[in-house]
Amino acid sequence: MAQGRGGRSMLKIRRNGAFYASIAPFFLIFLVFSVFPVAFSFYLGFNRWDGFSDPQFVGFANYAQALRDPIFQKAIGNTVYLWFWSTLITVGLALGLAVLVNEYVVSGKTYFRMVFLLPLLVAPAIAAIILRVFFTSNGGLVNLLSGAVTGTPSYFDWLGSEAWIKPLVVLLVVWRWTGWHMIIFLAGLQAIPRDIYEAARMDGVGRWPIFSRITVPLLLPSLAFSIITATLGGLQMFDEPYVLTQGTGGTNNAATTLGMYLYATAFTQFNFGLGSAVSWYIFAAVVVFTVVYQVIVRRSQAGAAA
Amino acid sequence: MRKLLANRERRFNLLVTVVLALVSLLFIVPLYWTTVFATRTLSEVFQFPPPLWYGGNIVQNYFNIANVFPPFRPIWNSLVVAVPKTAGLVLVSALAGYGFARYTRAPGHRFLLVMTFATLFFPPSLALIPFFLQMSWFGWLNTFWPLIVPALASGFGVVWMYTYIGSTIPRELYEAAEMDGAKGLSTFFFVVLPIIRPGLAALAVWTLISTWNDFQLPLVVLAEGSQFTVPLALTMLSTTHYSDMPAVMLATLMGLVPVFVLFALLSRQFIAGLTSGAVK
Repeated sequence: MAQGRGGRSMLKIRRNGAFYASIAPFFLIFLVFSVFPVAFSFYLGFNRWDGFSDPQFVGFANYAQALRDPIFQKAIGNTVYLWFWSTLITVGLALGLAVLVNEYVVSGKTYFRMVFLLPLLVAPAIAAIILRVFFTSNGGLVNLLSGAVTGTPSYFDWLGSEAWIKPLVVLLVVWRWTGWHMIIFLAGLQAIPRDIYEAARMDGVGRWPIFSRITVPLLLPSLAFSIITATLGGLQMFDEPYVLTQGTGGTNNAATTLGMYLYATAFTQFNFGLGSAVSWYIFAAVVVFTVVYQVIVRRSQAGAAA
Repeated sequence: MRKLLANRERRFNLLVTVVLALVSLLFIVPLYWTTVFATRTLSEVFQFPPPLWYGGNIVQNYFNIANVFPPFRPIWNSLVVAVPKTAGLVLVSALAGYGFARYTRAPGHRFLLVMTFATLFFPPSLALIPFFLQMSWFGWLNTFWPLIVPALASGFGVVWMYTYIGSTIPRELYEAAEMDGAKGLSTFFFVVLPIIRPGLAALAVWTLISTWNDFQLPLVVLAEGSQFTVPLALTMLSTTHYSDMPAVMLATLMGLVPVFVLFALLSRQFIAGLTSGAVK
């Protein structure tokens, strides 16, 4: 009996050979270059290893060591700061721009659709170089401008300043990503039926109530998608702070993110175990946010169906 | 009364348009200034007020870059990485997307599809360290292989092509192809591929641009300056020769040109690609 079932499933597999053949390249490459490294990273997290001598099993010591390290604690704070402010400002600005372009702009809609996307084409590393040029202490445009306004030449070191480096990273993220979120919102806005707006306007509902009571609730799926995307990117932020601080993390690690901490432990200190432990902390954060996202999406779908 | 309201509305709309136009300038001014500075001399750049229009020093700036590295070398390196990777990624993704879209009753279909969706939430940083070690065992460090081969398996690409094929190809087409005696893979190459060309183009543009902009992975696996891709080479130049701002700006500009040309040619596909992730 069992054999008969086995034989039938063999037949089924053979009949679906084309299915397995078509997905095989993807899964084979994925297995070798993603699944294996992740499993290996799990192993590394429990070992002390510099890449040359024999790995030494240390249990949870790497995880504990990271938590005790003041720089790691600072990196958590920095990452949360950068994630929160860059997501809030990018999504808020993009939402405002999308609604304004969609509802009120009289001409040049195509221009507005395109222009905010241009910064996204600029690599984060290259955008950071451009930003550095504007904010360098000696002859940077920002100092030139502020010097001209106040009348005394200014040599303020924006990039070396502990207080300013994080807002500059946020500025960089906002500059690059606003257009992307705006496109997502514009697509979402197209899906909202026009007659809802017409009806609301007929009833004399003002612009702000239309925005807050109609547009935002109906745009919730796009908003959730845009926030989760910004969050997954924000938690792993590396390129922007790395290039902006030239790999140092800024004065007193003012802009060291979890991604930069991971990079430094692994590739400058060759402490692969500690670095792997840090990557699992990042993974845990990603899982938490993803689950929250799924719950919200499911709720809003249930709400829409009801 | 109605006319008055319409007038007020029109004035509000005009105001919004003007304000938005000003805001949009803030977004492109840095790019514009990059192109202006690339054509100026060092002393002109530091003047106040800063130059607003192009100067005549672009050739000299070019030679200043050439003193540090061959100016077109990083662009060539980026092309050598991005083009084969994009071609392979699009093909592998389309093939898997086709498998998932067509053989919905195959054993394991649902499980494998869910796994593929799950990879979208998978943080790349989790694999960074072991991936580096793996590349060193393969003897692939300081080559372009780590940037091309592993990247061919993209969960994002597969999900994209699965959604695209599912929504563009009717099931009857598979049945018709089967009637004509076409096997699974020949159906893919001769029937499906020609139809999904717009979807392939969208995925290709998105992959090309994001590969061009990749920084962390090349930083980890490439050590030789002669192999640096555009973002790496520019970062190096801006650290070692940051005082020569016009040269840095010209090199930056050169590294941006290919992406902007691509965008100008294929912006519709690019935008289609952006929104495809949001529409489920």
